Amino acid sequence: VWGIDHSTAGGGVSRGGNRQTAARVSQNLVHLARTARAPGDPTAVELLAAAVRERGELTDDDIRATAAATGLPEATVHGVATFYDDLLVPRGRRHVRVCTGTACFAQTAGAHEVAVATGLGLDPGSRTSDGAVSLAETVCLGFCHSAPAIRDGDLVDAGPGAVARVLAGAAEQAPEPPARSLLDEPALTVAGDWSGLRAVLGAGLSPEDLLAEVDAADLRGRGGAWFPAGRKWAFVRAAPPGPRHVVVNGDEGDPGSYIDKHLMERSPALLLEGMALAGYAVGASSGHILVRSEYPRSRPALEAAIDAARADGLLGEDILGSGFAFDVRVVDGAGSYVVGEETALLACLQGLRGTVSARPPFPATSGLFGEPTLVHNVETLANVPVIAGRGAAAYRALSPDGTSAGSKLVCFNACFERPGVVEVPFGLTVRELCEEVAGGVRSGRTLRAVQIGGPLGGILPASLFDTPFDAQPLAAHGCMVGHGSILGIDEGTDMRELARHLLAFGAHESCGTCFPCRIGLQRAHEEFASGAPVDRVRLEALLEALELGSLCAHGGGMPAPIRSLLAHFPDELGLAP
Amino acid sequence: VIRVTVDGRELDVEPGTTVLEAARRAGAAVPTLCFDDRLRPFGACRVCLVAAGDGAADDPVVASCTTPCRDGLVVRTGDERAVRTAAAVVELVLSELPRRPAPHTELAAVARALGVRATRWPGATHAERRDTRHPYLALQHELCISCGRCVRACDEVQGTFALTATGRGFSANVTAGIDQGFRESACVSCGACADTCPTDAITELSLLEIAAAGEHDVRTDA
Repeated sequence: VWGIDHSTAGGGVSRGGNRQTAARVSQNLVHLARTARAPGDPTAVELLAAAVRERGELTDDDIRATAAATGLPEATVHGVATFYDDLLVPRGRRHVRVCTGTACFAQTAGAHEVAVATGLGLDPGSRTSDGAVSLAETVCLGFCHSAPAIRDGDLVDAGPGAVARVLAGAAEQAPEPPARSLLDEPALTVAGDWSGLRAVLGAGLSPEDLLAEVDAADLRGRGGAWFPAGRKWAFVRAAPPGPRHVVVNGDEGDPGSYIDKHLMERSPALLLEGMALAGYAVGASSGHILVRSEYPRSRPALEAAIDAARADGLLGEDILGSGFAFDVRVVDGAGSYVVGEETALLACLQGLRGTVSARPPFPATSGLFGEPTLVHNVETLANVPVIAGRGAAAYRALSPDGTSAGSKLVCFNACFERPGVVEVPFGLTVRELCEEVAGGVRSGRTLRAVQIGGPLGGILPASLFDTPFDAQPLAAHGCMVGHGSILGIDEGTDMRELARHLLAFGAHESCGTCFPCRIGLQRAHEEFASGAPVDRVRLEALLEALELGSLCAHGGGMPAPIRSLLAHFPDELGLAP
Repeated sequence: VIRVTVDGRELDVEPGTTVLEAARRAGAAVPTLCFDDRLRPFGACRVCLVAAGDGAADDPVVASCTTPCRDGLVVRTGDERAVRTAAAVVELVLSELPRRPAPHTELAAVARALGVRATRWPGATHAERRDTRHPYLALQHELCISCGRCVRACDEVQGTFALTATGRGFSANVTAGIDQGFRESACVSCGACADTCPTDAITELSLLEIAAAGEHDVRTDA
């Protein structure tokens, strides 16, 4: 769950100014990243990741070779090599990654991590002396419907027996989650048939008309910030003439969420069609999808769909004879949650450290390679074809009982009877989602709370399950729709351990730019990990500093679940009297 | 020209002026750590927080260095939430260092200005690691607070790119070249990094030796 609403970022003080006031990623480095490479060349991050895959670890020669190939300074490339998880962990010929996401934690309380480490005789982050086997932690593999998940090479095994199979060297690819829609005419659980783009180009609809339709549909950013997509498109469209980009945030790092994974792997054409429509509306001809490396099946699925679309004349030059040109490339991430924040995402796409930059300038005016860029989450763009094909009014009617427009994909973790991806209208209560849609928790267990929308989302206790699943009602309880993951927490989860787990994730993933997050999440984690009673006064002062002081939604959002636990489960947190 | 109000005082500024620039022009003392007026604003330290909005009690708390002024903006540099958060951040910064910052450093001055005398936070500190391979530049990694000033000075002032940020989260730090020391890196020994460093993490070797000789004084007078 990412991003800060543009209307509040920068305190809502100003979006403009006649000069660039903040230093995004160094403009000198951006210039180097742009000028020394041809479009489509691998990024420094991808070159380093390839070296790790081939040789098991990075050497100074790899840094120098990458610097020479990309035109970036050696020190800069060294900085990149020390940032991403995939570049830091040594690899053996067999590389095992154990998922430490929240769904896996809720399933085993971490027992699967210990079992794999013990069984392999390796600490996470280490490799056998003969280079045969290595073990790493990873968050998250997106098999939350069948936790716990372990990745052996590019095979992901998950669910009961996964640990034993991996340790026996007999990992099996786990089934992908089932997907269904509660809508009469599904909008998001479809493969995508390009009918929206065909309708727009066939009718000669102007870019302005398409933008107006998206605006009228009240499409909101599904990455968590809920920002009106039409306004964002208008910012990019209003940028000075020149190259523009559509960037897709396929870095669905939220533990417990596998919605974007589902869309990229099962409905890639729907995403590509949404990108092309967005490109048409804002005047962009190049699209970029950053895909997280934790999803080994996503990139091949997207590339196959891109090839098919090119062959059908739906991507490339002169699409469907309209004169509109648009093409898409896929870029790999290398293990970083914060790369889901838009400025960090753009840095990663340029091969740089995935750190957050202050805004302004916003990507709409100065994004990829310093050029105007529309950045969207996967699911947001997957909503665009139905708006283009059926119209804004039909789109708004998808949720007759909700206050938000359109429909939403939600996903459930393995503690439910029927986990999977489900397209739902807004306005159902959380209880209806948990008990009727997901079939309640598995027999003999009791659901105590759900965390909705990712690690930056609040935790809703069972006593509040009659809250409607919609942006405003959830916000009243310190929760959010976020990414749409609904992660059940049953009586097997120790709430203090849950706080420690979430803060360990928060501290590990802090990009290290702003001080409150860089130091504060470390201290918050130590507060719960030390075993000593938690000093509530000191902790709450720290949470305030994170909320008010952090540069992005990571530091600003990590307090939300901790505040929920303090509000609803104070007796279980080991607070000092 | 646009008009803003800082702590009750109205002043006219050019569009694009940051809130920090306006506040300083109005005579307000806003502390900063990652800011250096020779470099472009970075917005990392969050010590320059102020309230800025329409003048309401719940106006947003923003980093003044990266926030542009708009016409009619009302800035309160003494907002309780902003000052409390800035002080909490400086207390966190003191908690990451294995020893108190030397009294002459910018960090020590900012701590004094915000009334932060000590840290309540136990926990991990940065491991001592001292690089003295260069004839007159020393890098004490344990004193690095990742403000990025040295890296930006090398980039924006010198145009050399000899320095980089490393790691992430609490492990973030800086280094020269491929962690090979200033001498083996692209460093041209201009000293811009040492000049801007607010903690002496990068300093002139001779000053380090003087400080070591008077170590007792450095440690007891924060």
